[in-house]
Amino acid sequence: MNRLNIALVVGLVAVGIYLSTLSSESVGSMKASFMSLLSPFLRTGTAMQQNIGSFGQRLKTLDELDVENTRLKIENRVLRTENSLMRETQAENQRLRLALDFRARSSHKLVAARIISRDSSTWWSTIRINRGFEDGVEADQPVVTDGGLVGKTTTVSKNEAIVVLVTDESCRIGAKIEGTREQGIVTGLRIQENTSEGMLQMNFLSKNAEITSGMDVLTAGVAHGSFPPGILIGKVREFHRRALDGQAFVEPAMDLSIIEDVFVLVGKK
Amino acid sequence: MKTLIDLIALFAGVFLAFVVQHALPPMDDLQGARVVLVPLVFCYAAIVLPFPAMLAAAFYTGFFSDLFYLHIVGGAVEIPMGISIIYYVILGCLASRFRSGPETAKMWMFSVLSGAGTCAFLLLQFLMITWHRGGWEWAGAAAWRILAPGLMAALIAPLFHLVVSHIDNLIPDFSRMRRASRR
Repeated sequence: MNRLNIALVVGLVAVGIYLSTLSSESVGSMKASFMSLLSPFLRTGTAMQQNIGSFGQRLKTLDELDVENTRLKIENRVLRTENSLMRETQAENQRLRLALDFRARSSHKLVAARIISRDSSTWWSTIRINRGFEDGVEADQPVVTDGGLVGKTTTVSKNEAIVVLVTDESCRIGAKIEGTREQGIVTGLRIQENTSEGMLQMNFLSKNAEITSGMDVLTAGVAHGSFPPGILIGKVREFHRRALDGQAFVEPAMDLSIIEDVFVLVGKK
Repeated sequence: MKTLIDLIALFAGVFLAFVVQHALPPMDDLQGARVVLVPLVFCYAAIVLPFPAMLAAAFYTGFFSDLFYLHIVGGAVEIPMGISIIYYVILGCLASRFRSGPETAKMWMFSVLSGAGTCAFLLLQFLMITWHRGGWEWAGAAAWRILAPGLMAALIAPLFHLVVSHIDNLIPDFSRMRRASRR
């Protein structure tokens, strides 16, 4: 390696070290600009992902058509398909009605958002929603559905925001167990064995607490925290007594891998 | 001129690799491991490009990776910006040693480096997260999520090398042509 190349390597490593010293605000704004720039391409990628997912199903339908191959059966399938589409519309209608009702009941100002993509990294559990600072969304705001807590916003760009899910270890929530005086910190597991299910842990509980499986875990609403009190996080699955404290494993209130619409709590009504 | 075309192709390739790996869902049968293509694309560039161009590629790929994987919660950055740049500079320096070798040896080295580079990148992310959050946690799923993408990259690499080197041969090398005409 000649001297020029060595100088270039040293220069580049210096740039890397300099970048690592930037404040989280600076890198956050860089990430927000990057998100806006990349957004159209990633949305195309998400549409591609959905198409890949439905490819097998479409092949199965073709196969069935080939085997049956009678006019009557095709007609029958068309009618059935129409019926299922109508059922799907009905289900969507029902879901949106529930969401509207939830918004009307809530004492918080809610911004409805749609999930545009799910996380693409190995180590973090995040989703991307189609609301940004233009819609009043800011960083560290809770994201919920009528079923319970989903997570909180992290990086917010003009028209999009990244939401870290409750199943991520970096999302820490002050929580309480309903019907008891027990309070603790709920976090996700660092390595989720089952990516689709997700599991939470609640630490710093009293060793002698009377906690049974099935008890509701709610946000405690600690001062200066991101989450208001009383939002359902999940249900206790197991409780372990350790040497100094107790630990509960909590099942999230809903399957986070299938939700489509969420609400961002942007303030009080 | 050829180097410039190669460099632009790498920029486009890395961008495309990010979009494609974002679109591919995790594989539940492999404990949620994901396909990671960016180190593979970079390794190819590092083996093909001259050293200064390789450094430009390392900066671009590293900067892009840092922004793509940046995770800020509660004002804390889990993996600082710049780490990926340093990582790709080191990987590039290793890969560029095989630039002058015979074509077959280059292909196998590219395959090994792609696999090892992918695993090392994921392991680096895991270690950075562990260092930031504190406490050591390990599970079989973590090993799968580190090793399976590396294995997949190593398997894809020979095919990728064949296709891209074939396309590369179709691009006219004007500097080589000029040298030949002078002689």
